[in-house]
Amino acid sequence: MTQVISIKVNGVDRKVTIKDNELLLDVIRDKIGVKSVKAGCWRGECGLCTVLLDGKPVKSCLVLAVEADSREVKTAEGLAPEGQLSPLQKIFVEKAAMQCGFCTPSFVLTAHYLLSVNPNPTESEIIDYLSGHICRCGTYEQIIEAILDYAKQHKQTEKATAQKAK
Amino acid sequence: MSFGSAYLTLPDFEYVKPKSLQEALQFIDQHKDEAEILAGGVGLFAFMKERLVEPRWVVDIKAIKELQTLRDDGSKGLTIGAAVNMNQLLDFAPIKEKYKALHDCVSLLSDPLLRNRSTIIGDICEALPYVDGPTPLLIFDTEVEAASVKGTRRIPMNEFIKGVAENALEPNELAVAVHLKPPPENSKSLFLKHTSSSEFSIVNVAVLCANPSRPEARTVRFAYGAIAPIPKRVHEVEDLFKRKTPVPKLIDEAIESIKKSAEPMTDVLAKAEYRSHMLEVLAVRAFRRLLGS
Repeated sequence: MTQVISIKVNGVDRKVTIKDNELLLDVIRDKIGVKSVKAGCWRGECGLCTVLLDGKPVKSCLVLAVEADSREVKTAEGLAPEGQLSPLQKIFVEKAAMQCGFCTPSFVLTAHYLLSVNPNPTESEIIDYLSGHICRCGTYEQIIEAILDYAKQHKQTEKATAQKAK
Repeated sequence: MSFGSAYLTLPDFEYVKPKSLQEALQFIDQHKDEAEILAGGVGLFAFMKERLVEPRWVVDIKAIKELQTLRDDGSKGLTIGAAVNMNQLLDFAPIKEKYKALHDCVSLLSDPLLRNRSTIIGDICEALPYVDGPTPLLIFDTEVEAASVKGTRRIPMNEFIKGVAENALEPNELAVAVHLKPPPENSKSLFLKHTSSSEFSIVNVAVLCANPSRPEARTVRFAYGAIAPIPKRVHEVEDLFKRKTPVPKLIDEAIESIKKSAEPMTDVLAKAEYRSHMLEVLAVRAFRRLLGS
């Protein structure tokens, strides 16, 4: 069956015509044109197709597009205004937490979510939380370092703001 | 879809999203085997991509209020609805405090992203030998609540899995919830597993123990899974641990009894001999941890 669904993608309301058996992954890439969401394994193993669905990270190769009807999807493009990088993205660049870059948007998204629920994760919490992601270049060390660094910087900024407020 | 390969796309089906349990049950009653239930979809979509399952209807049960129940009723036990995902279980404090074996099991399942979708009821309904969910449920005397248009019935967990990918549900039934009985006072429980390189379990065990240092009051429960198509609670072990014999000796006897009851299988993941050996390793480790020897 064909139907029209409404999805809010990175803050913009979109109406898309889809078939019931279409995956969210394919609709986001091919019909909405958001290309940071990558297709890797199509079976929930690599994590490249991660999106934030109503704020929570899911693998969009295992979600039907129709399930996202009337819901909100966020991708790496939505983390900062057009042409800018979010603070976390900047640290990924500074730490060279990538080689080919194919998996980077998905790592950034999941890290973004992790830091929003746990602003001060330990190394093992980061490793555990990213266990659904694969980086074939093996940049894990730098990715973990970038996230730890972000948490540290963030804490210092918070402290400074708190002191100023006093 | 860009590539058009069977491996990447889902076969054609029609999606329905009932708003009430009654509506869902009527639909399933009408379409029976032609309808597949979608909760987390983690298993379902994998099978559909491989064309192992090609339903005419996919029934999404996530909008049904009754199935979102996650409730601890103290002495009456714990209820988990069919639409509750794994991360909700991990965030639910009573599970971590009282049903630790279940908490352990869920925290080791797949990864945090898939756990935002997958469900414990999906896990047990899939009934594949390598699923972990049934094993901790066995030590909490769990019952599966099955509903159809004719009413509901409760199926004990140890009768729910019938074989590889076979469960005790009738084609017109929906597993709506699992009910766990409260663990004995002062009890502790844990879950351990050993996986193949592909992260599928080849052995898992769940153990519960109360009053480890007082033989007459000691309660021990043991279940294993993933070594054969049907996970099993080993009741023989439970009386054995009531004896005054020193604990290390009791563990030896328990292992013997467990190995006697087990019929490990050889499949693509592991050989029977290896499963049998690892069953012993995990069981000893779990008993020692809870019985403190």
